[in-house]
Amino acid sequence: MISRRKFFSITLLMVTVLFLCMCLNNLKDSWNDYAVNKYTETAENYPSKINMYIPGGSEEDSVRQEGAAGATAGETVIARRKVVCVGDEEELCMKAAEEWAAYTKRDIAKRPSLAALGDEGTAAEMLVIDPACVDWESDREIGLLTECVEAGTHLVFCGLPDVSVIKGDAQVRELLGIRKVLEEETNVSGFYLGEGFLLGGETIYLEKESPDADTFLPGSEAFPGERTFPWYLPASGTKVYMRGIPEGAAVKTENYPIVMWRKSFGTAYVFAVNGSFMEGMEGMGILSAMSAEMYSYEIYPVLNARNILLTGYPSLADENAEEMERLYSRSVKQVFQELLWPGISTILEKYGYKATCMMTPQYDYSDDELPDGKQLEYYLKIFNEHFAEVGLSGLCVSDTSAGEKLREDYRFFQDVLGGYDMVSFYAGEMPEEEIEGALQEEMLASARTVIREGPEAEIIGFLTDHVTVQRVLGDGLEYTYKNDFLIRSMATALGYSSMSFDMSRVAYPDEEGDAWEQLSRALGTTVATYGEEYGAFNSTTASECDLRIRQLLALDYSDSRTDDVIRLQVEGVTGPVWFVLRTHNEAIREMEGGSWEELERDAYLLEVTEKEVTLRLGPADERFYE
Amino acid sequence: MSMTMLTVFQIIGVSAAYFGVTLALPWILLGGKFAQLRTAARFMACFVTGNFFCMNLVFLLQLLHISNRFTLVAGTLAPFIAVAVRRRQACLSALEKGLRSLRVVSEGEMGVKTLMLRTGRRMRKMSSGWLGEWLSSRWPDVLLTLGILGMLLYIYGVNAVNVYGYCSSDMVLHNYWINYMDQNRIFVDGVYPFGFHCIIYYLHEVFSVPVYVLLRVFALPQTLMIHMALFAFLKLVCKSRYTPYVGLTAYIMWGILYQYTYYRYYAPLPQEYGMMFVLPAVYFAIAFLQKKDILSGDGKKKKTAKDARLLLLLFAASVSLTLTVHFYDTIMAGLLCGGIAVGFCFRCFRWRYLRRLVLAGVTGILIAVLPMAAAYAMGTPLQGSLHWGMNMISAGGEDKEDSGENAQKEENKSPGKTEAGVSWKSLGTKLDHVLGEMQYYVTNDSRAAAEFMLGSVGVLLALGMLWYILRRPDYGAVLVSVGVFMGIASILQASAKLGLPQLMEVSRYSVYIGYGLPIVWSLCADAAVYLLFRERKGIHIGGLVMLGAACAVVLLTGLRKPVCISAYESNGAVTCVTNILRENPKGATWTICSSNDERQMIWGEGYHYEMIQFLRNLQKIGEGVSVTIPTDTVYFFIEKVPLLYLDYMNTIRPEKKVSLKGAATELPKSGGILPYIEEERWVTMSHMYYWARAFQELYPNEMEVYYETDEFICYRVRQNGYNLYDFAIDYGYNK
Repeated sequence: MISRRKFFSITLLMVTVLFLCMCLNNLKDSWNDYAVNKYTETAENYPSKINMYIPGGSEEDSVRQEGAAGATAGETVIARRKVVCVGDEEELCMKAAEEWAAYTKRDIAKRPSLAALGDEGTAAEMLVIDPACVDWESDREIGLLTECVEAGTHLVFCGLPDVSVIKGDAQVRELLGIRKVLEEETNVSGFYLGEGFLLGGETIYLEKESPDADTFLPGSEAFPGERTFPWYLPASGTKVYMRGIPEGAAVKTENYPIVMWRKSFGTAYVFAVNGSFMEGMEGMGILSAMSAEMYSYEIYPVLNARNILLTGYPSLADENAEEMERLYSRSVKQVFQELLWPGISTILEKYGYKATCMMTPQYDYSDDELPDGKQLEYYLKIFNEHFAEVGLSGLCVSDTSAGEKLREDYRFFQDVLGGYDMVSFYAGEMPEEEIEGALQEEMLASARTVIREGPEAEIIGFLTDHVTVQRVLGDGLEYTYKNDFLIRSMATALGYSSMSFDMSRVAYPDEEGDAWEQLSRALGTTVATYGEEYGAFNSTTASECDLRIRQLLALDYSDSRTDDVIRLQVEGVTGPVWFVLRTHNEAIREMEGGSWEELERDAYLLEVTEKEVTLRLGPADERFYE
Repeated sequence: MSMTMLTVFQIIGVSAAYFGVTLALPWILLGGKFAQLRTAARFMACFVTGNFFCMNLVFLLQLLHISNRFTLVAGTLAPFIAVAVRRRQACLSALEKGLRSLRVVSEGEMGVKTLMLRTGRRMRKMSSGWLGEWLSSRWPDVLLTLGILGMLLYIYGVNAVNVYGYCSSDMVLHNYWINYMDQNRIFVDGVYPFGFHCIIYYLHEVFSVPVYVLLRVFALPQTLMIHMALFAFLKLVCKSRYTPYVGLTAYIMWGILYQYTYYRYYAPLPQEYGMMFVLPAVYFAIAFLQKKDILSGDGKKKKTAKDARLLLLLFAASVSLTLTVHFYDTIMAGLLCGGIAVGFCFRCFRWRYLRRLVLAGVTGILIAVLPMAAAYAMGTPLQGSLHWGMNMISAGGEDKEDSGENAQKEENKSPGKTEAGVSWKSLGTKLDHVLGEMQYYVTNDSRAAAEFMLGSVGVLLALGMLWYILRRPDYGAVLVSVGVFMGIASILQASAKLGLPQLMEVSRYSVYIGYGLPIVWSLCADAAVYLLFRERKGIHIGGLVMLGAACAVVLLTGLRKPVCISAYESNGAVTCVTNILRENPKGATWTICSSNDERQMIWGEGYHYEMIQFLRNLQKIGEGVSVTIPTDTVYFFIEKVPLLYLDYMNTIRPEKKVSLKGAATELPKSGGILPYIEEERWVTMSHMYYWARAFQELYPNEMEVYYETDEFICYRVRQNGYNLYDFAIDYGYNK
């Protein structure tokens, strides 16, 4: 016989359990406004192309000056700096230099050859030189370069002249900091990149020897530069940043062939790159790192954005059913929902990433399988809960044009949700004209940013007056050394990384390696590697990154230093912007006008929230005993 | 934290470790055995046995090549374990009692508050009980002893906390010898009395104190101990309670003594360390000779024989320690024994005394010689300085190396005194030579002071003779013994002038004469007071009056002031070494490029690159030579005001700064330490300084200033194995 009191208690308990199980979920569902894209805002409200800062091209005061007009005693004022690019504008290294100068708000001048330089060379901050545009046989040109160095202009050689020139001319060797040509050609099995140059610490890109290396690092054989080049030994007064690791030679590490180095002349540095490392957007990172080496400190604006893009995920139609049944004994919808999402969400959350899911309602628009509206609602709900952004992919496996696809998608969204504002659009390697056409479609009426892939695309910028473009830096499912080098370079130059993971490979596998079992391992490795290395940078979605791109392109800044105090003034933007400060054996002690975080030794990420910022530096490591 | 504070903490720590091992542990273990001895004698007995045990334990383990922290700790605890096993019942019951108390507290039968209350009560009872009782009659003694300690800390402590570097040029060598003991390679440089090194090694190994820290700070506890041994000896031989303070105060604070009689106390040197065992040897010999009826018999006589055996054992241990530490100390102990033989001639030459004393002395010497002989028999050659010492004794000629320590005084030395060839046939002339040498070596060039010192020895001898006449032969014998020793020592000081065989480097006599003078003064004062008051109570008042008079004399004739020795390594360099050792984790590789001293200080932790070798390599830049140092970090120690690095201890402050002129001078070509001495050091440092400046111009961000003062600068360069910097640059003076 149960007492009334006990009966009451049991009832209360059951009601509580029922409330916890049912009502909370229902409440959560009802409060989840998944049908509204929380990243939606019309592009006009943000800085657009018209607000973009364009350096004025001032011909004076182009170098770092001490005690300049208006400066107090001991103050080092950084006037507008000027970079002169000597070489063919169409060369990749020149393009990289141009973009880098624009992002770091430097004035830039372009000259086709050294002969066209005139007196500009001695007044510039640095000359970025394509070696093909220098007449290495001409004493006058070598003399001009020496004059520039003596006047305090740093030289950056994007490559080197032919080995025969270097071997035969002591003056050239002296200028480039080469003591000896050990071999005219050598093969290397890898590269060593030293600490403190590119962000991300030291690393070794080494030819794989272990048989299972392919399993863990698929495709890692792609190196960032050529593996055959002349073997130079550095002269006295040089500092080496990158070396090749010779194949099978029993050589002391300090005698390994040099790849990237600098020669100090007391007044200025000469930087040299042995290979094609600067022929691409990697050049931006290398120039940033070189610039940081030139001065006691270097401060420059960055995006502070790490993006993870799940392209073609999710898909809402039940496609390729036979293959899916064979591989997973499930439909593609079930595979995406039950296999992919739990694994992806777990690893992304572990490393603090926000995902941007570039949805495609269907992969194949030519078949009869239509997308499931309930699936759409399901994904929008969970993405909303996990702070993931939903973007739209413009790609499909059928021959459907982008315009048709977008119109089809528009109809689907109208049917299910009565419309949905897409902010980010994934265009893959789509040509620019096609993208512009796509942006006219109703489905992309609210689009603010386009994500592109391919070496031709610029890293960040404006595609139209109001729409930004951001480039994916690499395929997260295909790790390569070359890609790793690009990511390091971009982290250094812009504090930016963007990895795409093509989930359509799961639904339409081309080979055995496309099984989710393998792909999930590659995804996990990539996310873990870069999540740890660049954990200090913010994880953003594509539209959050878009806002930061607009801010970066619009801002202007100036900085000066008095003793251990750096003053930074920011103009042209409202809201927070980010800078990277690179020092040499100095650390930030105090900061007014923002906050800071250490990226690695002698590198700091600054969040600037006010127009004027003051930083006080101190020695990076203080003595225990004085 | 400031380096000064760190040094203070290091001194406290090292002192606690040293006194704990050599005083507290023997006191705990052997307190009962020494119960019949007077407190001062017990103190002596404890530190003699403590040192004897530690040194011989290290010798044994080193020769067996099994010396490490574990064996040393086990060896130290072995006697305690043996005693515990022998008295297991008592130990077990004590353990049981302890555990019971612990159980009562842990099980909550007694609260923590109650426990603290009870402990407090017990302590209060103890302090108001036997401690209060003990203090009530001794408070003036306690106050005066604290005063003596205060004076010692003032005179010697100022240097200890302000000068971080080694204060003697041969400390580096001792550091090197001790370093190798880590690898069980005792006598690495040849057979040498290693007693001092054994103690330093023991403290280093057991308490994990770096050797260089010990060698930096050990001078202070060592000097305290030397003075405490002197104090204990005076307490034991003086009749008045306060006359010991007379000599001690004068010795510590009086300015009439020449600096080299006490400068060596500023460095932990073996000879000075061994001095603390000389007076115990003398006292235990005297105490033995003061025992009458030592032949065993019944009752009291049996006890006397047992006491005599203990005294002989301690005498043997003390003699052994003097030889184990430094043979100069044995020579001095031998001379003192000669004095005792004269003073106690009425008893010493009786067979039953002589036989035992000689046997104990020989046993002590054998114990000391045994480890050295064993090593020698195993093929280790004698260390160079032993050859030198033996040659000195056998040649009996002039000390050819006596050009350093007293060089400062050389120019003041009057021609009349230096000309040894004058007629010294008459006693007056001989006395004049003795006084002249005393004036030169022991006083601040004051004839009156020399006469006073020698006069006080004469007065002591006269008073000793008087006390023989007054039928206090044992007391008189002590006075005569000390007087005879001081007389011989004074004559030996002038041995070169008198044509006598020379037993040791001539300047070293002054250290022992200086150490003997407080005994002379205290005993003179004591004998005079004793003469006035005999055994009456007034003797203590008389002693106090004497002390007052002595203080007045010291104050009126000039106080000694604490000095800071010009160290052989700058404070900046030691600060940097300390920081470098602290901040570099295990496994990190680093190199210090400096003049030679740091090489031994960083033994086993980092690498060292000789500065002169570095500069010589830079000279070959024309031949395309590259200079790389394959460690993660490289530190360059450069003196902007180079040290003088004189061979003798001094207080001369260097003033000459590095300059372009120095850098333009050709690098020293000499080997060994010569490029780092005097003018050569200035040239070497000038080269190094201007190289560093040129390198910093090329590498402004990489060549960072790690530490800088007005006199010293340390640069740091961080690199990695793949990207080593080539330090060979043209700095303008290497082509």
